[in-house]
Amino acid sequence: MFYSPVITNAAEAVSNDRLHLFRYVEDPDQHKIQTYEAHGGYAAWKKVLNGMNPEAVREEVKKSGLRGRGGAGFPTGLKWGFIPKGSPKPRYLICNADESEPGTCKDRVIMERDPHAVIEGMAIAAYAIGCRLMFIYIRGEFNHCIERIKAAKEEAYAKGYLGKNIFGSGYDLDMVIHTGGGAYICGEETALLNSLEGKRGMSRIRPPFPAVEGLYACPTIVNNVETLSAVPHIINRGAEWYRSLGTEKSTGTKIFSLSGHVKRPGNYEVELGFSLRKLIYDPAYGSGIVGDKKLKGVIPGGSSTPMLTPDMIDVKLDYESLTEVGSMLGSGAVIVFHEETCIVWVVLRLIHFYRHESCGECTPCREGTGWMEQIIYRIEHGQGQPGDIEAIEDICGNILGRTVCPLGDAVVMLIQSAIKHWRDEWQYHIDHKKCLVKSDFEFK
Amino acid sequence: MTQEIKTDTYIKSGVETVTLTIDGRQVTVPKGTTVLEAATMLGIYIPTFCWHPKLKPVGACRMCYVEIEKFPKLQVSCATEATDGMIVHTDSEQVKQGRKAVIEFLLLNHPLDCPTCDKGGECELQNLTFAYGVDESRFEFQKHRFTDKSVTTTFDDIRIGPEIILNRDRCIRCYRCVRANKEAFGEYDLGVFGRGNMTEINAAPGEQVDNPFSGNLVEICPVGALTNTDWRYKIRVWLTKMAPSVCNFTSSGTNILFYKEDHKNRIFRTTSHCNDDIDDGWLADVTRYGYQIANSVERLQTPLIKKEGKQVPATWDEALEVIYKRFNEIREKKGSVCIGGLAAPHLDNASLYSFSKFFRTILHSNNVDFRCDYRMLPNKPDSVFSILCLRPFKISNIDNSDVIVTFGSDLVREHPNEYLRLRKAFNFNSPYIFSINPYSVKSADIADLELVYNVGTDEAVINGICLAAVEQNLVEPGVAIRWKEKVSPATLAETAAYCSVSEADLKAVAKALADGSQITFMIGELITRSKARETIAAAIANLNLLFRLDSKGQLAVLARYANSKGAERLGLMPCPSSAVERELALIWGEFPDCQPHTTDAMLALMKKEELNGFFILGANPVMLYPDREFAKEGLEKLEFLVVCDLFETETTALADVVLPLSSWAEFCGDYVNLEGRVQRAERAIKPIGQSRPGFEIIDVIAQKFDKKLFSTSNDMASEIERLLHLDSTMEMPREFLDVKPIREEVDEKFPIPLFVGDDPHHSGHITEKATSLANFAGEAYIEMSSDLADTYGLKERDSVRVESEVGKIIIPAKISDNLDGNVVFIPRNFSATPVTSLLMRKRRIDRVKITKVVE
Amino acid sequence: MILTQESIKQIQEKASQYPQRKSAILPALTIAYRQIGYLNSDVYKEISRVIKVPYVEIAEAASFYTLFPKQPVGKYLIQVCHNISCALLGADSLIEYLEQKLGIKRGETTPDNLFTLVTVECLGSCATAPMMQINQDYYENLTREKVDQILDELRAKV
Repeated sequence: MFYSPVITNAAEAVSNDRLHLFRYVEDPDQHKIQTYEAHGGYAAWKKVLNGMNPEAVREEVKKSGLRGRGGAGFPTGLKWGFIPKGSPKPRYLICNADESEPGTCKDRVIMERDPHAVIEGMAIAAYAIGCRLMFIYIRGEFNHCIERIKAAKEEAYAKGYLGKNIFGSGYDLDMVIHTGGGAYICGEETALLNSLEGKRGMSRIRPPFPAVEGLYACPTIVNNVETLSAVPHIINRGAEWYRSLGTEKSTGTKIFSLSGHVKRPGNYEVELGFSLRKLIYDPAYGSGIVGDKKLKGVIPGGSSTPMLTPDMIDVKLDYESLTEVGSMLGSGAVIVFHEETCIVWVVLRLIHFYRHESCGECTPCREGTGWMEQIIYRIEHGQGQPGDIEAIEDICGNILGRTVCPLGDAVVMLIQSAIKHWRDEWQYHIDHKKCLVKSDFEFK
Repeated sequence: MTQEIKTDTYIKSGVETVTLTIDGRQVTVPKGTTVLEAATMLGIYIPTFCWHPKLKPVGACRMCYVEIEKFPKLQVSCATEATDGMIVHTDSEQVKQGRKAVIEFLLLNHPLDCPTCDKGGECELQNLTFAYGVDESRFEFQKHRFTDKSVTTTFDDIRIGPEIILNRDRCIRCYRCVRANKEAFGEYDLGVFGRGNMTEINAAPGEQVDNPFSGNLVEICPVGALTNTDWRYKIRVWLTKMAPSVCNFTSSGTNILFYKEDHKNRIFRTTSHCNDDIDDGWLADVTRYGYQIANSVERLQTPLIKKEGKQVPATWDEALEVIYKRFNEIREKKGSVCIGGLAAPHLDNASLYSFSKFFRTILHSNNVDFRCDYRMLPNKPDSVFSILCLRPFKISNIDNSDVIVTFGSDLVREHPNEYLRLRKAFNFNSPYIFSINPYSVKSADIADLELVYNVGTDEAVINGICLAAVEQNLVEPGVAIRWKEKVSPATLAETAAYCSVSEADLKAVAKALADGSQITFMIGELITRSKARETIAAAIANLNLLFRLDSKGQLAVLARYANSKGAERLGLMPCPSSAVERELALIWGEFPDCQPHTTDAMLALMKKEELNGFFILGANPVMLYPDREFAKEGLEKLEFLVVCDLFETETTALADVVLPLSSWAEFCGDYVNLEGRVQRAERAIKPIGQSRPGFEIIDVIAQKFDKKLFSTSNDMASEIERLLHLDSTMEMPREFLDVKPIREEVDEKFPIPLFVGDDPHHSGHITEKATSLANFAGEAYIEMSSDLADTYGLKERDSVRVESEVGKIIIPAKISDNLDGNVVFIPRNFSATPVTSLLMRKRRIDRVKITKVVE
Repeated sequence: MILTQESIKQIQEKASQYPQRKSAILPALTIAYRQIGYLNSDVYKEISRVIKVPYVEIAEAASFYTLFPKQPVGKYLIQVCHNISCALLGADSLIEYLEQKLGIKRGETTPDNLFTLVTVECLGSCATAPMMQINQDYYENLTREKVDQILDELRAKV
């Protein structure tokens, strides 16, 4: 039926009018254009081309308060406005579907099950910035998503929703599907641009910013899949309606990928401002910890965000509240682990990932991640030396804010939070040459 | 390499400025300048690794941190644009800590090879560690190694090119080498592979780093990751001294530094002595490795005299005696018009001037020339072609041109420095670049439009551009009518078909020339070497008049060889320009009025035995004259031949007396580059063996004739000064000239046009004695496009028999990306292969037939 | 010639969609990988000729991305995610189980050249952990039974 058997709260979305991204994702035919249109699809695209000028589209999205759902949380409408007016160079829109942040698996659901929503969102965004050729950069491992998007693109072209003179409006729009080669760093904006240009996926220094000099040195906007799939709904139902969802500063809904030691891991669309505790424990969502064990820690927004302790999980899931407690909303991937997890083991897993994915351009990240992995490895394997924790903290201080792209910051924030909240456990490793809690997860 | 920061690269032409404060001092800079550049203007030093004054910044090394108020984190000054009112601190505690951290990171996996690493003593990592780094390392793990674990040594030394050795462990990933290779040189033989801390710089798999600028990669590497074989393990840098000099193999006059050791009297290497007006700090390999000829073991150490058919060593006194006796005999029996001279165009001003003065004031003869590798040069002064040769040209004007045309020039081979300048303009300015040649060349990779025209239709192409301008109404009707009347050309369609270029292309070039405001039009060797050069020059003169190019930029024939311009200016030609001749008459009190003869003419006279004595200074006409048969015949018939050169060559083999000549590194000399700029090359080492510089040789010979050429050495200097200050530029013709395309019959038996020139790693006849250059290219080859190779079933290195009407040779094939257009190229720099035996001086185009040699 | 005419046609078609030729490097590598199963410098040289981009740029890009094996692999390339969400649900144990079942260690290929086992980073399937990717397909929510079943099915197809 579906390629991926992931749990979603689509049933709730069907009955709850406020949830819109997941409304039809449990419909096995939603990826076909007839079904999509029957469910109200492409109405927004028609509305835009038949009467709204790009300025109006940008204003609407700006008023709605939609923020980037890929991790940065930058106001989308504002970003679209950064394109220099009157520049004679062609503009490009790129949909960032290179979902590689550990814990995140939400874009996949939309692309596999509701690909036309992505295409419609991309088309409207392209129109808003005056783009004639748009790209979607899908990670190379997502073969089923690629197939679905390919089929959807062909259907859209066949019906004249893409291509020349769409709806007789005189607007041309073409779409190119670009698949990645297996690099987390290519999810970062400037590295993605370099990868699309055929170069190695290494980051660029900013300035110049992509909105001024991006792909092929032309103005470019890069948006996440989830961000773009919300755009048709904003056009259809208006910015005011979108503002009524979520909180005042974090409007709208978000898909959270819940994974780790919960009974019901899955993708859940909820309004921003939702309680984290509820997401983890409520039977309609996470339904509590497996084995009913005690919670030890939560990573709230994908592995690049600082961790939270059990006494912090009453926080609301929105940009502001999480920043207040010292973390970030990020991509909305909530990773939960219970009391029988060794924190150093978790951090070792993640630092190995970051070292593997570092592009190697700037000195602090390239050398620092490797060094830290070696230190953390020996701490985990009972050979930690006194002074190791201080060394790690010092290295983190030398990487934070000193790199070309935010990958360095991601590594540091994660590790700093792990040491801050569980310093005793780290110290235990060093003093006693063994784990406080042995992580031994059985595969049944 | 010391950091000599020249920031002209980024200064845009706008006048808007900003004022900022760095370390309490204010500076006003053009908008767009980075903080690092602004600091260097104030003389404040900010350490860097990955930044390079001539490359775009990448911000990879993070060493150039500064603290800027209102910015919470440290900023990299190489990439941060200076804004009005910015307050910058380059030496605060935070900055110091930041630099310490970066050094610590870089030293984590860097091997402690200093005792055996060539870079020791001039290593930027060493220097900056001492200045800004930490005393002890906290790193307690095994240093990461690229070497295969099966290799037992700790040295990862891989030879990635004929002259370059790579040590991946030492690399600090500043990416200067790959950026320079791609951006500045346009070469694709070095790449970055892998990811994260396994990133390695290496040659492309299965390929070698052997581009004509590869030596620069070693020079810009801040550590010992890339090292040269010619310097490897030979000497420590602090035991050498530096001597500034000028390149003797190209016409740009690239500024260089010799590293020499006095006790050994030896030069160990050459590096750049950055001159932003000429070379931007880049050296062509031929410039960098050319010094090796000086200390070569094959150098002629003593004079040789032919006794009983064999050349035997003799003393200078003996040799000079023989020379005087024999020349005097000829002079008394037949007159001194039966004595001629040929000097090489890479000799210094003093030698060239003395040579000319000797022939003219002592022998009263006009049989003197410096060009032995051009066929059928005209004898008349002030020809249109020579006017084009005297046009002013400034290398740095290429930077700001908005239209650049290279016509008949294979830039990479003949003017490597100007090729790099063209690339610089392309990278930073986006001018329109047009490449118009009879075969496709490497420098056209960055051209907006490449026109490859039929061999032998050069003047027709220029006519075609003029026609295209007239048809698009880009010229005033009156002017157009006058041109049409004079030239009465064919139609644009016919011309385009005749040349095999498209009409649209001709129109595009014409439009660009009409619209451009700063035009650089460079004319190269393929025109200079052509027998039809006068006709082509006339066409270009018309082009100039039509588009008024001489008021909109620069239009010039690019001179070749280190001092051709000097020879021109000092009147070494048989028929100097009228201005020069007048001045010489003033200086000397007289100027001989006998018939002048070019090298061609002299060789013809030799054949008829009307020229009996010849004096060759540094040249090798047997090897380089474009008709070996003709040259040999002439020289063999001479009664008496004196040859001075550094090595024994085909020409010295024919001589009655051979004198050892000093190389340019062994005495102090002045050279005039193609811009007309006079530059001094200091003496680096003492003369090898008994060799002497050219002017000294002529002086002692003149003394034998009981004449002193100059009363004091000041006289020589002031006479030369007078001539060099003369403005011998002549006005371009103000009337249109008739241009009738010259057609040459094609012999069906020999269908393929042959071009002969320099290999990109060589220049003239002596560079093959430089071992490094011979490592790059040690033997002749025939270069052709892959299409042509397929037609003849040839693969790389297959033996090819190349035959022309007058000769044949067998050489290996080389397949290249360029040379489309059914032509072949053979380099002339290798004495083992007599390439010039295939050429005929009377032909405009040399043609050959090629066949695969089957074993 | 290693690339088939079909592959070359696909590459040229794809290349025509981009404003600049160089962007076609990554799609070309993907198409070549699908046809051959792994990549090496001969393939880069051919791609260089097809899309007219310097050879070293293709070699550089290919060395940066981990999706393309640079050595021949078995008929089925088993990529098991060992990142945090999967590891929390027993990915390490899954890998050991596979090593034991196939009789090889991670990074190796079975003697019958059928299976190659490698560990990879996050595959974007965290809510259905533990999981693995075999060639183009994802197999999620794995249990021992499911793994046995999948391996048997794959063996049967040969």
